[in-house]
Amino acid sequence: MKEAHEEQANGAKAGQVVIELEGVSFGYGPEHPILQDISFTIPQGQWVSVVGPNGCGKSSLVKLFNALLPAGAGEITVCGMKLEEASIGPIRQSIGMIFQNPDNQFVGATVEEDILFGLEGLCLSHEEMENRLQIYSERLGIAHLLAKHPGELSGGQKQRVAIASILAMEPGIVIFDEASSMLDEGSRDELLSILKGMHAEGRYTLLMITHDADEILASERVLALHGGSLAADVTPAELFRNEELLERCHLRAPYAWRLAGELEERGIQVDVPGSEKELIETLWPYNYSK
Amino acid sequence: MAIQLQQVSYTYADRSLWKQTALHDIDLSIPQGSIVGIAGATGSGKSTLLQLFNGILKPSAGTVSVLDVTLRAGEKSPRLLPLRRRVGLVFQFPEQQMFEETVEKDLCFGPLNFGMSPEDAKERARKAMLDMGLDLDLLERNPFKLSGGQMRKAAIASVLAMDPDIIVLDEPTATLDPISRTELISLLERLCREQGRTVVIVTHRMDELLPVADNWVVLKEGRTAFQGNASDLAKDPAILERCGLTVPQSLRYWRAVADRLGLEDEVPRLTAESLAELIASLRTEGKGLDGAGGKRDDHE
Repeated sequence: MKEAHEEQANGAKAGQVVIELEGVSFGYGPEHPILQDISFTIPQGQWVSVVGPNGCGKSSLVKLFNALLPAGAGEITVCGMKLEEASIGPIRQSIGMIFQNPDNQFVGATVEEDILFGLEGLCLSHEEMENRLQIYSERLGIAHLLAKHPGELSGGQKQRVAIASILAMEPGIVIFDEASSMLDEGSRDELLSILKGMHAEGRYTLLMITHDADEILASERVLALHGGSLAADVTPAELFRNEELLERCHLRAPYAWRLAGELEERGIQVDVPGSEKELIETLWPYNYSK
Repeated sequence: MAIQLQQVSYTYADRSLWKQTALHDIDLSIPQGSIVGIAGATGSGKSTLLQLFNGILKPSAGTVSVLDVTLRAGEKSPRLLPLRRRVGLVFQFPEQQMFEETVEKDLCFGPLNFGMSPEDAKERARKAMLDMGLDLDLLERNPFKLSGGQMRKAAIASVLAMDPDIIVLDEPTATLDPISRTELISLLERLCREQGRTVVIVTHRMDELLPVADNWVVLKEGRTAFQGNASDLAKDPAILERCGLTVPQSLRYWRAVADRLGLEDEVPRLTAESLAELIASLRTEGKGLDGAGGKRDDHE
């Protein structure tokens, strides 16, 4: 039984479709429609950003995937399981969710208990639980925090604990719902490098609801929601070059992209600089004056 | 001065074994009608500082003066109700601030509590909603059924509805989309510049506030590590790193251009638009072209 689940959760091969939406609609009652007729597929291993203005239905959309919310119409298939037909257990096991405020996600009195809580629910052996606890707390750099109460941790540490608890359950799909929006810049950079590491491993399909330009830039694909429909399905570079789409999605390009754009408008052609040093070297090469 | 702190310290659980001093010896002046940004790493005392501004916390040492009210450590505090109306506080988590069953009731709660008639309170609520760019249809909704970003805007609206002289916001833009962030910052700028209100914002997104803030306070381990304006900050951005913060992109790019061209006395250009404008104008003047440093040009 356990193996069958694992097969469904993690057995998807690279490129195989793991999430499929077909004509999906959702609303909080008929007078408050949120999403209308959404269709797309996501292959295993892809890193997808979900973007759009506040209140456009981003969080509702991802909550449909693991049946936290019931779809009003249409069909959702996750790892080959049709949502209306499959039982919730294996679906939730294949999708891990990490939310905006890690405080809303803690259940244990210590970090260790918090990570073990999810594993107990999976009915794993003691050995396996200890094993995973060790692997994932080390991978996220929180092994030294296991005895601490969540209240003693900084925002960035809490978010890492939340991620470790989710990853320990070994889901194939991990959804981050504005997981960095409450973090300070240092912790945001930290989260981004964790994400890059997860993506490089190839075993996770990552979905990220975000407004953060750097996070969007690091992903492979952008699904833009607007007014309850899918407004665009593009690459990050296409998004950041499309002023009109950026405005519609309430987004801004990263500073370097905006600067390059503003320079271009004034007749100065430069590639988007990777750093301020790069810009200076492009605009004012030193060798000329020496 | 709208807010003045003199040698203020604050200690949590002062009379217990677990006492912990969150603020040490803070001297701070915030002029009326100015916009002040407060930055600092996690645990540097930012949120504790904000709570001193309307008497939620009282100083363990020193003097806090806000508008015409003075709180001295160890003395009985004066009546704080008028101060609480005039100093609006928006907390970090809006869901902890809303409590009524409709958005309208939530927005009217403050004004009614401070003695306003129901009609006037409703009018205030509508105006605050429009100021925040929220649809009036949302007034009838349950605040907990709003999206994260809408809820945050509604929480800010509920503070604006009290018509405060000083508006204090703790990470107000954290969960807003970038356009809503820009809109909120420009709304706060208007409230300050046109109506003379004082605006204090704690932020870890310094980038978006740098072009509008008159002054900055940077905290490190409960002490003020920096006080000054954006020009002062642009001269030595490394101070931010010493305080455990990341130097914002706009400041890094400005610093790089200014260093390369020797623009020490220039007003820092902290938006992509203004920096591009400056680079373009230097080029048409022939300065900074093809590697010629600005300093050398000045002597020519």
